[in-house]
Parts: sequence; structure tokens; C-alpha cells
Amino acid sequence: MYGFLQHVINGLAAGTIYALVALGYTMVYGVLKLINFAHGDVMMVGVYVGYAVAFLLGRDSLGSTGSVLLIFAASMAACALLGFLIERFAYRPLREKPRLTALITAIGISFALSYGFQLDAQVNVRGTQVTLLPGAAARAFPEIITPVEWLNIGDGEVVIWNRQVISFLIAIGLMVGLQYLVFRTRFGRAMRAVSFDHRVAALLGIPVDRVIAMTFMLGSSLAAAAGLLYAIKDTSVQPLMGLYVGLKAFVAAVIGGIGHVPGALVGALALGLCEEFVVGYTNSSWRDAVAFGFLIVVLLLRPEGLFGRVQAEKV
Amino acid sequence: MLEPVKTLGTRAERKRLLDVQGVKVAYGAIAALKGVSLSVGEGEVVALIGANGAGKTSTLRAVSGMLKPVGGSITLRGQDITGHKAHTLVPKGMAHAPEGRGIFPNLTVEENLKLGAFLRHDTDGIEADAEKSFTFFPVLKERRKQMAGTLSGGEQQMLAISRALMSRPQLLLLDEPSLGLAPQVTQTIFRILREVNAQGVSILLVEQNAHLALGLCHWAYVLETGEVVMNGTGAELLQSDDIRKAYLGE
Amino acid sequence: MRSLGAVVAVLSLAFWGCEKKAAPAPAPTKAPEVAAAPAESDTILIGEVGSLTGSEAAFGISTKNGIALAVEEANAAGGVKGKKLEVRVYDDQSKPEEAANATTRLITQDKVKVVLGEVASSNSLAMAPIAQEKKVPMITPSSTNPKVTEVGDYIFRVCFIDPFQGFVMAKYARDELKFGKVAILKDVKSAYSVGLAEVFERKFTEMGGKIVATESYSKGDSDFRAQLTALKKQKAEGIYVPGYYNDVGIIARQAKELGVKAVMMGGDGWDSDKLFELGGAAVEGAFVSNHYSAEDPSPVVQNFITKYKAKFGSVPDSLAALGYDSAQVAIEAMKRAPDLSGPALRDAIAQTKDFQGVAGKISLDDKRNAVKPAVVLKVKDGKFAYVATVNP
Repeated sequence: MYGFLQHVINGLAAGTIYALVALGYTMVYGVLKLINFAHGDVMMVGVYVGYAVAFLLGRDSLGSTGSVLLIFAASMAACALLGFLIERFAYRPLREKPRLTALITAIGISFALSYGFQLDAQVNVRGTQVTLLPGAAARAFPEIITPVEWLNIGDGEVVIWNRQVISFLIAIGLMVGLQYLVFRTRFGRAMRAVSFDHRVAALLGIPVDRVIAMTFMLGSSLAAAAGLLYAIKDTSVQPLMGLYVGLKAFVAAVIGGIGHVPGALVGALALGLCEEFVVGYTNSSWRDAVAFGFLIVVLLLRPEGLFGRVQAEKV
Repeated sequence: MLEPVKTLGTRAERKRLLDVQGVKVAYGAIAALKGVSLSVGEGEVVALIGANGAGKTSTLRAVSGMLKPVGGSITLRGQDITGHKAHTLVPKGMAHAPEGRGIFPNLTVEENLKLGAFLRHDTDGIEADAEKSFTFFPVLKERRKQMAGTLSGGEQQMLAISRALMSRPQLLLLDEPSLGLAPQVTQTIFRILREVNAQGVSILLVEQNAHLALGLCHWAYVLETGEVVMNGTGAELLQSDDIRKAYLGE
Repeated sequence: MRSLGAVVAVLSLAFWGCEKKAAPAPAPTKAPEVAAAPAESDTILIGEVGSLTGSEAAFGISTKNGIALAVEEANAAGGVKGKKLEVRVYDDQSKPEEAANATTRLITQDKVKVVLGEVASSNSLAMAPIAQEKKVPMITPSSTNPKVTEVGDYIFRVCFIDPFQGFVMAKYARDELKFGKVAILKDVKSAYSVGLAEVFERKFTEMGGKIVATESYSKGDSDFRAQLTALKKQKAEGIYVPGYYNDVGIIARQAKELGVKAVMMGGDGWDSDKLFELGGAAVEGAFVSNHYSAEDPSPVVQNFITKYKAKFGSVPDSLAALGYDSAQVAIEAMKRAPDLSGPALRDAIAQTKDFQGVAGKISLDDKRNAVKPAVVLKVKDGKFAYVATVNP
């Protein structure tokens, strides 16, 4: 029983991270109908930015609320900029081209980031080695949130940590926030209009380029936040982390119905739990097979995902 | 080289609002407009009539910035707007209700109207204008919380016109407002258009139903394969044999 | 989804293509003393393939240092057959296909007499068939997978093989730690990890112990909580994790987080300072088997450490020691061989017996594997401390 409970906690914690990444995925898809494959890698870059800021702050100043906020702010800002640049120079020129062109570009950016970050590049600035690219080896991610046991049942039989609770609340909070943004604000209305037909949106005076750029920046900074929580959870950072989590988050978003915000959260939690039970009760080699099998079953029964609505293809 | 454009009747002297000079538009290698010139005066209703593929919709799109002309010039109140992006023309007083109505089916009627006022920040004014739309088309008020995709064709057209008016334009571009609608609905819409015009909004109207269009407009242009071939007052054109044969099916 | 997969596959292929073009043959990293070495005809070339970048870079660099030290000493003592030795190193970026390319280049282009490398068994397995086919002896310093030397009679190693590490740890866990119940967590994607786990299980059960659970993970995973939660239920006294340091560090941390109290045990894959960076306090008290310990008081070891420290400024790890041993075995064989042709050198290497290496006395058996003792180390204060030596 304790084991089962711990599995549920582990699964929800893993699913929370998938959810945070999937929210950004689904939001960008919702507006652009573009599967932004580079989303996970933008997340990875965000984690390295957080790592660098934590390193500059020094071990002693970590753990305070101020340092956590600073790390998150720096990482999210850096990713917003990266998202802006990717959209401006890679996706915007392809907007009127067939979707496949943009999709392949996205895959290209994903590989460029995840493999580019495996290079080692250092420069010497007045006697100090400054690392530009981190290299392939995994690094320990510093404890920017001091780990505290939040709940401990039966002398370590079931343990919940503070950061698991924090991550979960952040995921729920962001989902509610995004839902509010999309359905209750002027910017959200513009996003939905652009999503349906950006030419008509422009006729109403909506600055389409700016709405899309903002959506990308928002999605990318969400990815940064997700990445930091992920790195805090699994205590390490390496350049391929984004490819893997990105793919899982994409699966979660599709299961939930891509473009549907609460669907992404539900899909991600379901995927996290599903993987946890597979590994915990059978064999880890089954994990990915079952995860993708789950995807296939959902798509067979509901091609639009659990919550997605069938939408007439626009002409 | 160019045949002089045949003019019927005399046009009332008005201050120029929109001036289109020799505008050319091409889709790839295919020329859609081969040099269209026309103008819209302040408070005027101008109709563009012509057969399918004559270039009516392309003309509207070039004016509203949906298409970039490859030649010619477009000025709005004397200011050059050739090739300007669509969203920058809305604050200059232009509104375009595009072909196929272009309403957002996954947004409510109210949200569609609010999007029409995207660039405005005067909450009270927006509210008042929405109410005005509801007096024009009471059915929209009943359906204000409904998804726009659930409206009938006529209601969607009413919404498209109302939404375009939400930006308080001086110039309203309308593309085929009568398309696919029952005659009664069409009559309602044209009655409202007359009222809108009476309140000072200039209208550039593309319409397949030449009879309706010529009945409403002060001045009309006849387009044939990307060129203006004739212009005149609605009443004069209605009398013209060429027009009666070609566009009124008589 | 299927077409998407195809797109990804095609793209990754395209990417590999590009990468090879973009990153041309890595420039040979020559040991510094080579610059002063005499012209080509007066030198004997020794080839080396190592992971100087990529995920196992820490291994490759230590090995390279060990080899450089051995060659420097041999040159100072007059070289071999009146000629100086020179090492030509190629980086394989920790990838098997690059290791194979580098081996081909060393043999066909640079005409080396012997190839040293690699650390990771999967890379050595990619190199061995090439060396075998071209009849150039290859000595791997530290690939412990049995399959490597099974490739053919030109392939040797100066370390013990995987089964032996599993044997050592099982014996130590049962005899010294008195464990009765042990769980195993292995990396199913790594032949090394699976091999160690297999022998450990056999030996431990044979000695009367019980394996209460076997869980698996795949290299590159970062969440091991599901497996650890499943293991925790079994109340094992020890967990055998024969993986690599980058996974093990994270595993240890998550085990501690989940309240797992069992003692962790592992093999030489743990051997890197990175383990302590990644695992922190969570790896304290764990036991590992290894090739050598810097704390071993024997004069051969201490002498080596002094020289290594003077040259590279750090304490050599076991990969440096094995790199050093592999170069020494090659050099000694060159001295004994009548000429430096492939077959002659092969026979000379095969005759190596009771050679006193830094990492134990080496005799090569008829399967070209080294028969030698192993040490057991315990993690204490962020370091590996010498505990015992276990003989075959």
C-alpha cells in the first residue's frame, strides 16, 4: 500500500513536469498550428541559464527566496528572447509555406540546440575561463530550493518533498492562468482570432506578427520555468534532456487534445502515472512502448485527443 | 492604346476619401488586376460589379492591404497607403468585411464584436457601438453569448458587418454581402447599409447582384478581366443595355 | 505519428551527414614531447583512440595521460630498438562509429604498430574487428566486457573482465558485509552493466544470498524513482548498481530522497570525481570494485602516483593507471618481439606473464584477458577509500 502511494506521488511529480512543458507546446500549437519541436530544447537552454545564474550567485546565496526568483526570472527572460529569435528568423519567413516546411525547421532547430550544447566552448576573458557551451557531460544542478520533507508517512515509507508540492501548485496555477489569458483577455481573444485565420485577424487591426511573437515568448518562458522545476526534481542537467522531455510532453499534449490547455495537464498527469506504474510494476524497458501505446489507443478511440474538439479545417 | 472608359451620367462633386490609381495585382505569373483606377468620395457608396474573376475581390484586398500591389498607387485621404499592412490601415479608418464573412466560429458573437474594436480602448464607446449593432440586427443580441459558428448565414453576415463597424471606420469595404442569403435577409442588410451610409460612412461594395448594388450606390464601376470598362451612376447603369444584358440577365 | 517518426529519422540521418562534414577529422592531439621527436622513420607510432569529448570524456582524458606518461618514460630510457616512440591520439567523441573511423585511420593512414583503446566496451567492440582484420594488435586498457577480446587473436586487454567484478563484489557483500538480501538495479542498454549484474547474481546466490528484486533503467534516464520505490518494498540490505557514474550519482540522490536505506554497491563505472558532484552526500558509504586504488601502499603504485602528479598535477584514477599499464605492456612486448610486424608483436604481447603493472600483476590467459586482483573501495568523505584486495 505504501509502495502504491509512493508510486502515485512519483507519477504525479513526473506528470507535473510533462504538464508544464506540454502547456507551452499546446499554446504555440493553438495559435500557429505549428508543432514546435524545439520547445523541449528551449527548455534545456533555460535550465543551463538557470545553472549559470546559480553558479554566479555562488553556493552560499542559494536557497533564499530572492535567489530562486532571480534564477527563474533570468532563465525565463533568456528563453523568451530565444523564443522570439527562433520565431522571428526561423518560423516567420515560413509562415505562408506548407506546414511541413516549418515542422522540419523546428526539428532542425531542436537538433541544432541539443547537439550544439554538447560542444565544449570556452573563452578566456582576462584570465578567467568563461564557458560558452557546456559540453555533453551531465552536470549536477544546484539545490536552488532547499529540499524539505513535506510529508513523511511510516518512517520514510512514503515521502513527499516540498518541491514536488510547489511544482504541482505551479502547474495548476499556470494552467488556470493560461486558461484565463486565452479566454478572458483581449490578448487571448487576439490569439484565438490569429489561430483561426490570421489574415482576417489583421483586417481587424490585430498586429498578427506581434501576437505570434508574444505567444512564442510566453511559451518559451513557460518552458524555462518547467525546465528549472525539472532540473530541481532530477538534480541534473544535460543537453539531451530537452529532446526526451519534449517528446513526452508532446505525447501528453496530443493525448489531452493538442491546443487544449486543461487537456494538456490531464494528459501529462495521466502519462506520468502510466509510466510510473509500468516501471514500478513491470520493467523499465516497457515504459516508452506503453507510453506510445497509450497515445495510439487514445488516438484510435478519440482522434482529436481526450478533450480536443473536432474543428473543420479552414480553407 | 487604352480604350477610354465609358462614363454614364455625372458624378456629384465630393471630397476624395480613397483614390486608387492604376493598381496591378498578380498571383504568381497570372495578372488579376491590370491597372485599376477608381475613387470613393466622402459619404459615397461605390459599387464594383462584374463577372466572377473580373478582379472585384482582388481590388478590395489590394485596398485593405491583404494583397500587395505590384504597381500603381493607393491613397487614403491623400496619404499614400500602397502596400501597407492590413492591420496598420484599421487605425486610419478602414474596415474590410472579407469574402466569406471571415467570422471566428469558435468565438462568441460578443467576442467577435469586441475583436472588431481591438484597437479601441474606450470601453463605454465600445459598449455603445455594440448596442447600436444590436438595434440594427436584434437577432445578434439574442445570440450574443452563442458561438458565432452556430449562426445562420444571414446572421453571420450581419455579424461580419457589425464587427467591421466596431472600429468606427470612415471607409467600409464589403465583399458580397448578399452571397447565399435569402432575399428577405438581403433586403434587411441593404437597408442597414443605407442607414450606415446615411450616418457618414463611405462604402466600397463588391456585389454579384448588380441590381441590388446599383440600387444602393451613388457611383459604380464595371470590372472586366482586371480592368474598369465602364462607370457611372447606379441609375444610369441600370438603364444601360450593355449592363442589362451582361449583368442583370435581361 | 509514423510519418513523423520517419521525418525524425531522416532528419537525424541528414544531421549526422552534416555533422561529419562540419567537423572534419579531429586534429591529432599529440603528446607535447612529440614535437621534439625525430623524423618519421626514426619513430615508432603507437595509435590511441579515446573519448576526449562527449559523455565519457573524463575516462578518455585520464587514459591519455597514463599512456603519455608511460611513453615519456620509455623514451627517456632510450626508446625501443633504438627508436623513439610517438603516440597519435584520435578523439572518438564517445561514439562507436567514430571509434571505428579513428581505428581505420590510425592503421591505414598513419601505419601505427599497435592500437591502444578504448575505455567503453561498446567503443572497443567497434574498433576490434578492424584491428583484427588488418592484423595490428590492439590493447584495450579498461574495456571489461568479455566479448571484446573474443573478436580475435590480435585483441588484448590489461584489465580484468566484467564477470570478475561481479564476482568480487558478490564475494565481498556475502563474506565481509554479511548481506543476505540484495537487490539489483542495472542499465539494460549497457552490456557492461548487464554483464556485471549477471555474474553478481550467480555468485551471490551460489554463496547462499538472495536476490530479492531486479530492476532496470536505460542510460540517459533521469528519473529512477519508480524503480527505487519498487526496490524499497523488498527491504534489501544492499543494492547492486553496476552502472556509470553519471546515472549512479542521480540514482543515489533519489534513493536517499525516497528513504531507501540499503547500502549501494557498484563497479569501476562509478570511478569519476563527477560521481561526488552528482551524488553528493548520497553516495557516502557505498562500496565499489575497481582496478586499483591510489591508497594502495605498494611502492609500484606510490611511485606511479608521484610521477603522474608531477606531470599532470592530479592524483591518477584507475583509468590513468590502466592506460599506463596498457602502454607499458605494449612497449615491453615491442622490446621482446623480433620485429614490429603485426604477427610478431601479437605473439610477444600474448606471452606477457607476471608483468608488474600499476594496477596489479598482469598475466594474459589464453583468451588474451588479464588475470589479476581487484580492489574494493568505500566512499568516504567524498573520496574512494581503499578497503581490501580480492584475488581471483
